[in-house]
Amino acid sequence: MPYFTLPDLGEGLQEAEVVEWQIREGDTVNVDDPLLSVETAKAIVDIPAPQDGTIATLFVQPGDIVHVGEPLLAFEGDESSGSQTVVGNLESREGDDNRDDFVVGAVTDGQPGVAATPAIRALARHLGVNLDRIKGSGPAGSITLDDVQQHASLKQSHGDSTPLRGVARTMAKTMASAGAQVVPVSLFDQVSVAHWPDGTDITLRLIRAIVSGCQAEPQVNAWFNGEQLSRRIVDRVDLGIAVDTPDGLFVPVLRDVANRDDADLRDGLNRLRRDVEARKIPAKELQGATLSLSNFGTLAGRFATPVVVPPQVAIVGAGKRFTQPGFRNGEVFEDVQMPLSLTFDHRALNGGQAARFLGAVLASLSE
Amino acid sequence: MFTRTPYECHTRLAVDGQWHARPGDDRWARLIEGYRTMALIRQFDKKAVNLQRTGKLGTYASCLGAEALTTAAGQTLQPDDYFVPYYRDQATQYLRGVRLEQILQYWGGDERGNDFPADAPAVRDLPNCVPIGTQLTQAAGVATKAKQRHEHTAVLVTCGDGATSRGDFHETLNVAGVWQLPLIVLVNNNQWAISVPRRLQTASRTIAQKAEAAGIEGFQVDGNDLPAMLDALDYALDRARHGKGAILIEAMSYRLSDHTTADDASRYRKASDLHAAWQREPVARLRQALVEAGHWDGDQEKAWLEHCQRQVDEAIDSYLATPPAPATDMLDYLYANLPPALLAQRAQLEQRTTGGHHA
Repeated sequence: MPYFTLPDLGEGLQEAEVVEWQIREGDTVNVDDPLLSVETAKAIVDIPAPQDGTIATLFVQPGDIVHVGEPLLAFEGDESSGSQTVVGNLESREGDDNRDDFVVGAVTDGQPGVAATPAIRALARHLGVNLDRIKGSGPAGSITLDDVQQHASLKQSHGDSTPLRGVARTMAKTMASAGAQVVPVSLFDQVSVAHWPDGTDITLRLIRAIVSGCQAEPQVNAWFNGEQLSRRIVDRVDLGIAVDTPDGLFVPVLRDVANRDDADLRDGLNRLRRDVEARKIPAKELQGATLSLSNFGTLAGRFATPVVVPPQVAIVGAGKRFTQPGFRNGEVFEDVQMPLSLTFDHRALNGGQAARFLGAVLASLSE
Repeated sequence: MFTRTPYECHTRLAVDGQWHARPGDDRWARLIEGYRTMALIRQFDKKAVNLQRTGKLGTYASCLGAEALTTAAGQTLQPDDYFVPYYRDQATQYLRGVRLEQILQYWGGDERGNDFPADAPAVRDLPNCVPIGTQLTQAAGVATKAKQRHEHTAVLVTCGDGATSRGDFHETLNVAGVWQLPLIVLVNNNQWAISVPRRLQTASRTIAQKAEAAGIEGFQVDGNDLPAMLDALDYALDRARHGKGAILIEAMSYRLSDHTTADDASRYRKASDLHAAWQREPVARLRQALVEAGHWDGDQEKAWLEHCQRQVDEAIDSYLATPPAPATDMLDYLYANLPPALLAQRAQLEQRTTGGHHA
């Protein structure tokens, strides 16, 4: 579905308040037709349609504060066709498959410039020190004489450090940013899956269980804005699925998992995995998750505290299944247990909501 | 000949498109060409605002209401003259050979928009000038050199009414007078300097009268009136080319748009003033006059607007399809030869932006 996001309306203003919509969901518009008016710190401006199309969904209401880059509306369109463009993005990155700067939720800012005086730069050149790799301890992060000398002696004794690149670099930044914002709480539980027939598609069961959890507790499928302290419950479950690759962690998004049949979901999963492995996945397929699943149990580990990546508010971790003695009607039998972990952002959810969600997930898996 | 005084506005067309003084038969082709340009630029301008509103263009300064005076400038400049614009001169630039997609590139933050085609008159012109008034002294410099070289060319510089309060404006008029420079200063008096109205700008009765202090000729023209503007600029540029000195022209117009896309004029401009200004606007006025005289009709209008739409759409497609410029461009056009310190930075920049680094 093509989204239209709030453009930069001028001179670096970062947000706008929605004043009024001129159209409704279901309306058909032509390019340049007025869509809505918004008020920035400087002006009330009318925003016209960037393309022809039918309005599928309005994401914001009059009075809402929207930040540049946040979606205003979605046009109807076929998800699998190539028409899923994000319009309103001045620096479109579509079709640029060689870039490594996407994955795991929001991409953070680029590399900051290096602040150092000419004398420090000269010293660094002399000592063979790369200033890009130094965190300055001087005023406003500038690099000092001591910084350069320390780095030079460290390099002499332990060799040079390797800067992270691409996916690994983006992951490091995203996780650092998530870690700095989120107030994580984790719940652990396990459920008997001994009754599952052979050949059960475990990932599909997990997806169905998560949908069931969202139905029981819709607030878990939401976006939370920590700056505004505002939350938007999302109707559609767009599930981020963690995929481990030799290059690093990818979290492609499987759209609308609540309304697709098993075969369709399996196809979608296979396609995402294939695209990730071939490194052909477009950036937009990695954006917009409303909830995430990490199925690390296919490798090892029972319980974990996976990181919630804003604006999402929760992530489910499925651990490695294990056997233990079970009891049924006084008889001991060989039971198979699946461990589950749920980490949620306590700014957005409380323990009761999280526990009800997890309870519904467990109940679904035990069916 | 026409009346040239600082206190009375030279007009050829009444606001309802009736002629005060009809042009001769040999003048119509030029007016029709002028009208076509004005209609094209109006369509282009509207589309540019929408591109900004949908995130495809940076902050943009609309030229709505300035079509007649800027078109007249483009029609009267000779290829060898020099044009030094401020930032509402889209029509002049277009007539000087700047492509519409380049105008979009400029406002989209792409410096290649200022790389005017080598075979166009614009190659002699300066790029847009967003700081207020600084282009005026630069134009005086260009005119000084043109005079030293005995070129018999004219330099046309534009500014808004707000710029006339700056020292640069008075310094320019002063040297233009004392050195007899081949310089025409065309003030687009659109009544607003962002939110400051003309009456708070200067206590002078007119802006044109400021020429008197500098010892040069100054007069007022109806900036919404293409034939009047052509009279004024033909006269002024010709005089300048013949070494007869500088002239200040105050073109009376009205800014029908916001100051830029980052402005909201409804906060300080009365709706009734805007409504009144629309009754005097230049495009409809000239169209009416042409229709009246039998030189334009509804079919021609329809066909021309369709042509404009296509031309503007093609320019937009071409603009949107242009790959971003390399980051190193920001250093490459600063110096003829880059100093060693910047050479190192340039290498670093190149490596970062193309070497697989996180940009």
